[in-house]
Amino acid sequence: MNPQAPARFAALLILSWSLAILTGQELTLPQRPDSVRFAVFGDSGTGDTAQYEVAAQMVKLHEKFPFTFSLMLGDNMYGSERPQDFEKKFERPYKPLLDGKVDFYAVLGNHDDPNQRFYKPFNMNGQRYYSFKKGQVRFFGLDSNYMEPDQIAWLEKELQASGSDWKIPFFHHPLYSSGMHGSQIELRALLEPLFIKYGVDAVFAGHEHFYERIKPQHGISYFTSGGAAKLRSGDIRKTDLTASGFDRDRSFMLVEITGDELFFQTISREGTTVDKGMIRRRDAFKPATAATTGVGIPR
Amino acid sequence: MSMITRSTGILYKVWSCHLSRCSDSVHRQGATMLAMVVCFTMSTGIARGQPKPANPMAVTLADFSKRVDDYAGLHKRLAGQVGELDETKSPAEIAAREKKLGDAIRAARADAKQGALFTPEVSAIFKKLIQQESKGRSVRVKQQRNEAEEEVPAFTPQVNHIYPTTFPLATFPPHLLKVLPPLPKEVEYRIVAGHLILRDTEANLIVDFISQVTF
Repeated sequence: MNPQAPARFAALLILSWSLAILTGQELTLPQRPDSVRFAVFGDSGTGDTAQYEVAAQMVKLHEKFPFTFSLMLGDNMYGSERPQDFEKKFERPYKPLLDGKVDFYAVLGNHDDPNQRFYKPFNMNGQRYYSFKKGQVRFFGLDSNYMEPDQIAWLEKELQASGSDWKIPFFHHPLYSSGMHGSQIELRALLEPLFIKYGVDAVFAGHEHFYERIKPQHGISYFTSGGAAKLRSGDIRKTDLTASGFDRDRSFMLVEITGDELFFQTISREGTTVDKGMIRRRDAFKPATAATTGVGIPR
Repeated sequence: MSMITRSTGILYKVWSCHLSRCSDSVHRQGATMLAMVVCFTMSTGIARGQPKPANPMAVTLADFSKRVDDYAGLHKRLAGQVGELDETKSPAEIAAREKKLGDAIRAARADAKQGALFTPEVSAIFKKLIQQESKGRSVRVKQQRNEAEEEVPAFTPQVNHIYPTTFPLATFPPHLLKVLPPLPKEVEYRIVAGHLILRDTEANLIVDFISQVTF
């Protein structure tokens, strides 16, 4: 055996490790002019070190990828919700982003007092569910804790009116998940037929404390991004659902929409890219009946 | 009258929902039979020129809706006095307004006891509706409903007390919302540790509750 072989092997190992880190940290989003750029994160409101570290990573990447708003996927505030908690669990960690005019659009998680809808920095306009438009993208913020018939009727009306825009609902409970809580099948029975009927393109949810990208279901891309502070390490079970998952550390997403393409990159607390890719917009608004989609109401 | 119509509508929804989930023909026939019996009983009474018979269940639910509407009216009046809350950058303002409204409602309903809205008759119907709705659900759905409840530590609700702010609000089963009487925006249902709670959405107060509700 060549006496230098172990040393060479070690050097190669270090080189490939460094390359992997460098590649992992690379920002791959195209940053095209006039694109819609945003961050996505959920289950953030602990006020602990992990939340602050994820927030710091977001701030760092905001310098390279100046996103203009963020989707907060619920559990914005764990435990008490006193004024000092809003400061500790939201205003302080995201201060550089707030100062940099990044808007936050929140939805309610099961740990959130519904009166958060009156908190202006969450941009909910005093409503438990609402929609807003950025460029050619229509977002639908839903209250998945309390999916009353009025909300379903409202969603259908809004989806119908959104025409050929990109359609992106976001809410707390994932319709598909390989984690501890699992896919929310009751909620899915109510929402998915509408998503299919009106050509929803992508869906963001939290609740599970990890990152997961689901293999497209009925042409829809589902993302779970609920690890912006809490983590359920090793919680992603091996199922046929997962296209990509990360449950070893906290994470958040960066997203860019330009024309018919949505680019995403998922970043860990340490700044490593744990997933990335692109999805294309589905055919612009082709009404279909739920019956033709094969989606029924599970029991 | 309109409340009875509304309640009859709810009964219809429960029946049709039950029917749609009955996979075997025996149950389907049973549900249809039940509806026919109810219709026949009602129509024979009308044909004989007797006073229009009121379905006892519809009457009870109409009474519940009236009590809820009365509560919502009180809430609105007191919210007007306390001042409507607009969006604000100040969490302190939100908390202060929530407390002020809660105090005002508590003072106005100082003598309120359990059963003020969920009367014993209403409670019995609600328990039955919830059980019926849950009966046909899969094990997985029932499991998820229980899991959502278990996220909240056990506690004993009390009328006029605030819902503990440090506890999560258990997610409400969406299909159950389709069969329970609709509520005005001032209140909402929550199921926590086996209690069905009627919660004031802005004051975070427990307006009333039914105990020992099971899926």
